[in-house]
Amino acid sequence: MPSSYTIERRDYPPGDLAIWIFILAELLVFAIFFATYAFTRSNHVALFNHSQLSLNTNLALINTLALITSSYFVVRAVAAIREDKTRLCIRWLIAAVMMGFIFLVVKIIEYHHHYHNGINLRTNLFFMFYFSLTFFHFMHVILGMVILSAVAIKARQGHYSSTDFTGVETGACYWHMVDIVWLILFPLIYIMK
Amino acid sequence: MQKTHNRNRYALRPCTVIYIILVSFTFITWLIGKSSLTGLGFSLAVLGIALIKGFMIGDYYMGLRGINSIWRWVIILWLFIPGCLITWAFVSAG
Amino acid sequence: MKYQSQAVAKYYFIAAIALFVGQILFGLIMGLQYVMGDFLFPEIPFNVARMVHTNLLIVWLLFGFMGSAYYLVPEEAETELFSPKLALIMFWVFLAAGVLTILGYLMVPYATLADITGNSLLPTMGREFLEQPTITKIGIVVVALAFLFNIGMTALKGRKTVITLVLLIGLLGLAVFFLFSFYNPINLVKDKFYWWWVVHLWVEGVWELILGAILAFVLIKTTGVDREVIEKWLYIIIAMSLITGIIGTGHHYYWIGTPRYWQWWGSIFSAMEPIPFFMMTIFAFNMVNQRRRNHPNQAAVLWALGTSVMAFLGAGVWGFMHTLAPVNYYTHGTQITAAHGHLAFFGAYVMIVLTMISYAMPMLRGREAANSNKSQVVEMWSFWLMTVSMVFITLFLTGAGIAQVYLQRYSDTPQAFMVVQEKLATFYWMREVAGVVFLIGLITYISSFFVGGKEAEEIA
Repeated sequence: MPSSYTIERRDYPPGDLAIWIFILAELLVFAIFFATYAFTRSNHVALFNHSQLSLNTNLALINTLALITSSYFVVRAVAAIREDKTRLCIRWLIAAVMMGFIFLVVKIIEYHHHYHNGINLRTNLFFMFYFSLTFFHFMHVILGMVILSAVAIKARQGHYSSTDFTGVETGACYWHMVDIVWLILFPLIYIMK
Repeated sequence: MQKTHNRNRYALRPCTVIYIILVSFTFITWLIGKSSLTGLGFSLAVLGIALIKGFMIGDYYMGLRGINSIWRWVIILWLFIPGCLITWAFVSAG
Repeated sequence: MKYQSQAVAKYYFIAAIALFVGQILFGLIMGLQYVMGDFLFPEIPFNVARMVHTNLLIVWLLFGFMGSAYYLVPEEAETELFSPKLALIMFWVFLAAGVLTILGYLMVPYATLADITGNSLLPTMGREFLEQPTITKIGIVVVALAFLFNIGMTALKGRKTVITLVLLIGLLGLAVFFLFSFYNPINLVKDKFYWWWVVHLWVEGVWELILGAILAFVLIKTTGVDREVIEKWLYIIIAMSLITGIIGTGHHYYWIGTPRYWQWWGSIFSAMEPIPFFMMTIFAFNMVNQRRRNHPNQAAVLWALGTSVMAFLGAGVWGFMHTLAPVNYYTHGTQITAAHGHLAFFGAYVMIVLTMISYAMPMLRGREAANSNKSQVVEMWSFWLMTVSMVFITLFLTGAGIAQVYLQRYSDTPQAFMVVQEKLATFYWMREVAGVVFLIGLITYISSFFVGGKEAEEIA
């Protein structure tokens, strides 16, 4: 029996196909970044392992939880609009954006900490990758929050309903992409050594 | 009304279950990092957990599970290829 | 033509084509000087010919962009241009400034030109592509400001569309980044660093927005596909262009004394720069396949499709070939760069301006929607002549570049620059022949404006 949380069989992914072209392009950039990181590390194992020690895994844990939770909220938002519960949908979206804010704040605390210890892009290869990758992802979180906010505003103006919710799904898919990238980034940069 | 409500609560469960699994996996990853468990075996285990998490986001949250075409595989492929490359790099680093 | 004031575009397009002819003539002179070093010496030395060749290109493309905007914005905004008079005055100011500058390059030695124009007051001259006298640069800024004001006011008083917005952001960016041509620090690293903010952020940043907007406009008009669909693609293409293009500037920072991380950033992000161009190809062909009608101006559709393919090849593929730092270590500043420069500028920016001219000119000259069949056949011939000869120019230069990289840099016994140049003569001769074919194509193009003028247009 179809419900708001089940997925019906179809040929195209949820949301606008154009966002998927964009998601694929973005994922490609990150994939190349990840592979480059891993192969560069294989030539500088000691340096990478040592530098990794100065990262704060507790903060990274909070951030991972923040993103996973926000993804969950976005799933609830999509489900809500599919039941024509616009106000509920908006509330879930705002909650997701709030989780995004938590992520940003924690990340800024981390950056500040590094800056305070005199660590920057030029410190060594590991930190070059650390700052590049996390900052590039950071910008994506901001973009994702902008997209989710735009969806929330359009929802408030009554653009979406149980029959027309492609816009919500489009924003949701982008946000899940931002989440998925972090799920790989977190172990790769913070844990694996 | 009551019936719809129940149905939705029932249907909601998979996504909430997925959420609980994602959170638990995250804690496992964090614990491995915290307890300084290093070495190739742990690294690959952590990577594997991350790939599974990504797979769940793609399949359940993005909703690719029900897709009949090549789109069903995009996230899985995206996880698989970098996953292999990272594994290769870590194995070659020893 | 829906609005009277769109007619100002015609002046800009005619000036653009005239300067285009000049650019090609100087290209041919230079091409010959590659193999006959003293050709036209001392009247036109190689460095002057090169300066004229590149400066004319930039100036005529700017004429083309402005003309396109003057045609496009009133139609999109559904209102007359804010001030057609201002547009005309600026046309003559810009043309006079452009022609005087080129004459200055040709008539007096560059150092004298710097003296007469008071370069010592605010030194900005003497840097590749930014050779214009300071006073010309100021003129360009004035023209750009008046132009932006005119276009901006038009857009504000009328309908606001995504295409106008993207075009305006592109043109605004063009003006803003040009301001860095006035920044001329003593420190050479800084000088080069910001020099690229003009050069790179133009062609691999904001110009791509202009390209995307014009392409989207012509596709809406010629295919009848829904505006929403086209706008959606436009958003994604420009987002990707900016994400890859801005940090992609790093691929110019490998060897100029900047921190090492630029080698990573430049390599990774610029390697992604083909993506938006590839999207543009898919986009153009998709829209034409989904067309709701067959527009009578098939030449314009051909130019539009051609732009999307050649931009991907020239900017995307040929750019990718030498963008990774380890490859660029051997190739930078060789004929590989020249090959990429030719195909990218032609494929992306020359062709988009010709697309717009092809679409707009028939209406500007008082026809219903398109030229006669006869005229379009000639125009399509010129399309193929120019495109194919440019591909050959690129291939010959690529061949020369590969040989040069090997002989001069990669080989165990590297040889001196001029020794290697001698050995590349055959490539340069073939390039010159392809260049002559290109000129024939250009003449064919111009003649297409003068044939079949009295015949009715085909109703497709």
